[in-house]
Amino acid sequence: MPQSGVVVEGLVKRFGSFEALRGVDFAVAEGTVVGLLGPNGAGKTTTINILTTLLPADSGRAWVAGYDVERQPQLVRSVIGLTGQYSAVDEDLTGRENLVLVGRLGRLGKSAARERAGELLDVFDLTEAGDRLLRTYSGGMRRRLDLAASLMVAPQVLFLDEPTTGLDPRSRLQLWEVIGGLRSVGTTIVLTTQYMEEADQLADRISVIDGGRIIAEGTADELKTRVGGNVVHLTLCDRTATSKAADLLARAFAVAHGELVVDDDLGTVQVPVAEGSAALVEAVRALDGEGVEVADLGLRRPSLDDVFLCLTGHIADEPRPDAPMLRRPRSSMRGR
Amino acid sequence: MTTLSQPIAFPTAEERAALPPRRVLGDITILAQRNLRRLLRNTGLIVFSTIQPLMQLILFAYVFTSVVDLGEGISYKDFVVPAVLVQSMTFSAMGSGVGIAYDLQSGMIDRFRVLPIARSAFLVGRIVSDSLRLGLQSILLVAASLAIGFHFQNGFVGAVGMIVVLVLFGMALTAFSAWIGLAVGDPESVQPAVFIPVLPLVFTSSAFAPVSRLPEWMQPVAYVNPITAAIDAARGLALGNDTLERVSDVSLTTSLLQFAAWWVAIVVVFTWLAVRRYRRG
Ligand SMILES: Nc1ncnc2c1ncn2[C@@H]1O[C@H](COP(=O)(O)OP(=O)(O)O)[C@@H](O)[C@H]1O
Ligand SMILES: [Mg+2]
Repeated sequence: MPQSGVVVEGLVKRFGSFEALRGVDFAVAEGTVVGLLGPNGAGKTTTINILTTLLPADSGRAWVAGYDVERQPQLVRSVIGLTGQYSAVDEDLTGRENLVLVGRLGRLGKSAARERAGELLDVFDLTEAGDRLLRTYSGGMRRRLDLAASLMVAPQVLFLDEPTTGLDPRSRLQLWEVIGGLRSVGTTIVLTTQYMEEADQLADRISVIDGGRIIAEGTADELKTRVGGNVVHLTLCDRTATSKAADLLARAFAVAHGELVVDDDLGTVQVPVAEGSAALVEAVRALDGEGVEVADLGLRRPSLDDVFLCLTGHIADEPRPDAPMLRRPRSSMRGR
Repeated sequence: MTTLSQPIAFPTAEERAALPPRRVLGDITILAQRNLRRLLRNTGLIVFSTIQPLMQLILFAYVFTSVVDLGEGISYKDFVVPAVLVQSMTFSAMGSGVGIAYDLQSGMIDRFRVLPIARSAFLVGRIVSDSLRLGLQSILLVAASLAIGFHFQNGFVGAVGMIVVLVLFGMALTAFSAWIGLAVGDPESVQPAVFIPVLPLVFTSSAFAPVSRLPEWMQPVAYVNPITAAIDAARGLALGNDTLERVSDVSLTTSLLQFAAWWVAIVVVFTWLAVRRYRRG
């Protein structure tokens, strides 16, 4: 039995005849952040709902902090925090009351809950709004309070389902900062997102999910490398030297001439390379020794968007063509 | 913005997962308190569920009493007031289902479902807070009944007994309404979903006329109707056994037993259904 972190093996979930999850596997080492990256309808929320005991799986198994999600749900619930895709807050309570309620039900004593609520309001910049009813909060404030609520009991494993979707840039940066802070105190985090940038920024490892399956897994760097590595981009001082430069670079990086992109008019050469910034030094050294001067050079890495397009064959917003039409359920219990 | 400190010393997973009875009671209390706090901020519901029966009381006491003569040595007012009070509980109990549907919609139920609390705490907390609300409402309505000239012919103990029956009846309906709220999941649809089965039961009960004076086809329905049982019990406690026997052909003991049987059945069945609905995602 796995001892910590999160382990997911072959999760399958059907809604009627529609198979939303078709064998999802991934693992999260203790104290690390895994980003579940995928488009709308990929199965992110369904996966999170199963891991947080909200939804039973049809087959497959999962362990959270070593506890079996299906057989030990009560233990799982006592070590996790969840910020769902839609905020779950009580509109008729104040921010502070919301937090204290969750804390007390999460087994904090009265005064500990109050103390922790005060601290979290502070962290999330909500101290001033803390004694106002939630229904007066803006979307960003509500989202921050929602995240604060899932941190009341300092979970061992935290699940964040699209935590920044629909947030303004300032609130997004603020959440990123808090999530970074949680990682640094050793919280294991499973985070879903549709934003490549967010996965890149926050996650140690990324699992790309599409159509109910994990289609790629690795660090952001590994995924980028899989898509075709890096390209060194050079501009020469002397435009007439491009063919000489091309010869030298092809030899230095052991690539065929056909793989280089040479532009005589602009005096530029592009070379595909396996390594990262070391390639820049190597390129300059190869040219400098033969008296070819470089005016400008740079390394272009494929973006995660490139990765995504390459892996899924579609951009990150088209739903699965076979997916049932569904009004977004606000709760895992809706839409049955 | 400051960064998050190390957490206050939290209990271990096993400690947090344990559910000794004391802790379950604590959770129920916390959840019931939350409902009551919300209630105080939504005075609309309190006003709605008190005004409605008040108007009915006035209508019956001043309009129908002058035209309906039951004989049997009892005024129509004294006959009908306990029934109006019982009926008012159906309106109030509907509020429970509406509140639960809101909790479903706002995501609060999912928030509770990922916390290590007993699976029954949410529903029992709701039943507790709403029973308190129903109790308060009953007392207000009893005061209003006295003001319009209702006679408690069975003394103070009878009056208290009637309030107990009202609250118990409301509690059973709360369990039903909670299940509806969870099953329907949208606040607007709760009201019709509760009333469609309940209103016909009210009209085919002993509420507005003695069963013996109802149309013949309706009488068997009225006899086995749980609302008849509740109304006869309330009426018997308020007016005394003799009056009840004269107008309803049942004794107070029989109607109390019938009411108790119905109460247990409704509470057990619908609490079970609602808890099942709550646990299953
Ligand atoms: N309760 C449900 N009933 C029917 N289909 C559902 C239900 N919940 C999700 N689905 C479907 O399962 C697929 C995965 O949904 P979801 O996990 O919410 O995706 P994501 O969170 O990645 O956007 C979608 O096609 C969605 O329409
Ligand atoms: Mg989702």
